[in-house]
Amino acid sequence: MLNFIGKRLVVAMFQLVGLALVVFFAIRMLPADPVARLVGLNSTREVYLSSQQALGLDKPVLEQLSTYIVGIAKGDFGRSWVSGAPVMEDIRNVLPVTLELITISFILAFLISVPLGMLCALRPGGVADSATFTYSLFAGSQPEFWWGLLFIYIFFAVLGWAPPPLGRLNPMSTPPPAMTGFITIDSLLAGNMAAFRDGLHHLMLPVATKVFVLSGPIIKMIRQNMVRVLGADYILYARASGLPPWRIALMALKNALVPALTLLGVLYGYILGGAVLIETVFSLGGIGQYAVRSVLAFDYPAIQAVVLVIAAISLFVYLALDVIHAWIDPRLAS
Amino acid sequence: MSEVLDFADSGATYVAKPAPSFLFRLGAALVVLSLVLMVIGPWIAPYDPNRPTFEISEPPPALVDIPGLLWKVITGAPREPIHWFGTDSTGLDVFSRVIAAPRTDVAIAVGANLASLIVGSLLGLLAGFARPWIGGSVMRISDLIQAFPVFITGMILVTLAGRSNMTIVLTLAFLYTPIYVRLTRSEVLSQRHRGFVDAARALGKSESFIALRHVLPNAMAPALIQASVTIGFAILMTAGLSFVGAGVRPPTPEWGLMIASSANELIQGEWWSSIFPGLAISVTVFGYAAFGNGLERKYGH
Repeated sequence: MLNFIGKRLVVAMFQLVGLALVVFFAIRMLPADPVARLVGLNSTREVYLSSQQALGLDKPVLEQLSTYIVGIAKGDFGRSWVSGAPVMEDIRNVLPVTLELITISFILAFLISVPLGMLCALRPGGVADSATFTYSLFAGSQPEFWWGLLFIYIFFAVLGWAPPPLGRLNPMSTPPPAMTGFITIDSLLAGNMAAFRDGLHHLMLPVATKVFVLSGPIIKMIRQNMVRVLGADYILYARASGLPPWRIALMALKNALVPALTLLGVLYGYILGGAVLIETVFSLGGIGQYAVRSVLAFDYPAIQAVVLVIAAISLFVYLALDVIHAWIDPRLAS
Repeated sequence: MSEVLDFADSGATYVAKPAPSFLFRLGAALVVLSLVLMVIGPWIAPYDPNRPTFEISEPPPALVDIPGLLWKVITGAPREPIHWFGTDSTGLDVFSRVIAAPRTDVAIAVGANLASLIVGSLLGLLAGFARPWIGGSVMRISDLIQAFPVFITGMILVTLAGRSNMTIVLTLAFLYTPIYVRLTRSEVLSQRHRGFVDAARALGKSESFIALRHVLPNAMAPALIQASVTIGFAILMTAGLSFVGAGVRPPTPEWGLMIASSANELIQGEWWSSIFPGLAISVTVFGYAAFGNGLERKYGH
């Protein structure tokens, strides 16, 4: 088991190093001029050159690379070229917003999708199956930013149930002291129930959008695994032994969920990188919006950090789920 | 879907095909419609998609008026051209822009997938047929590309390479190539020791001839099925990139841009200028997904 984890960790480390190098060279090879972007096109040559020098872009590429690699090893991604703030600090502020949104949506989507996927698999080809399957195909192919706007229109503009889509909390209220960065957890820790409710209220529509879009692939996956497990011999045996259908279904579910773990890991990484759109629609100020801002401003240190942080988290979640998978099913580790 | 079929074959319970083939036909119709609009959309638009009209923020005709207006269109009664989907806050006709947009959205998605399908299946063939170290390195590079967060990487590449339709096509092609490499390679691995391959080898054909002539055509099916689904995702991504300002440049008629530029009016009640383009994305991408799903059921294994 330790051997297995060790091997996976080594592969993940190599992948991260590879990613770091690719990001570094890719953004420097593309025909963009961050200095001109920063100082404006009408600036004099002296301003341009001094700005280039300040950003360290006048140094040879290999020297830039070594500063970058040494920085990463120390967990320091440098300072943002736009705001001058340390990039790592910015990311520490924005990342919890995204993780909170995604984790809550992920758990809710999973809780909704498991019974639906089971329902499909128990009677493949039935009316419930066709309807749910069509729904999952539909939900899995939707533009989430548009659904977010649609929900805003219905629930904020028309019905008035949701707060305006302008961030994580009511701007007039005082946010709870930041301990973990997760508003829901921080407000509970501070005993600030008003902020907790406000936080959940603001999460309502983004989470609903995300759950809707996510439920598509998850239902499909649960259904596929369930159908496969229900065809196994031990299910036939359980049926022959006269076990009630609900017990057989629960038995099958356990075995269907285990292989789903790996796919869930992939999906988590995928939506972490895809949170950009939903955060933009609701102005949540998470890492996705930070990424948009940095990319549009050609802020290289921030771009590098965002890509690496997201890739590292995805790899870590993927690895953790693989380890859990191997722990439940020891055949995998050997 | 192989599990479903295995289950059916095992004879435990007869399993009908879970989704009605209606879904497949609907998908095929939507795919064809999007391709037709890609070609003729801007030509059949009743208004110039880029020239503002004098009616600003005009709502679409009320539902009760639509049959009457349709009757006028059919009978050819003299009339003002109708703003079926209303006009946006700059006076552009929303309907014309919605049907002109496939020239951008669908064309980018199809072009990107065509490029990655060609490059990806050739690389997959190489990975499955050439010496193990070549195959291994192709696969490691694919792994590396797939470890990048797709949307953010797309944003970075398109923005830094200069936002244009061509850079979006190239970026999407780059990001989707590993999918096709993987699919083709696994199919090639299962094909290359089949009887017809050995027969060609016995005839003394060269390895590269066998690979291109015999193995590749037989290994394309999964990649072609995948292409339908991936084109749908490419449309979502193109619209999404444009929505955050890292894609197509305004004022091109493009669904994501249209939604972005009228998102603020939505809250003030002008729903039509962002709802209709979104509906177009929603229906189109669903069409590609349904079509791909139907193909998979029909030809997948």
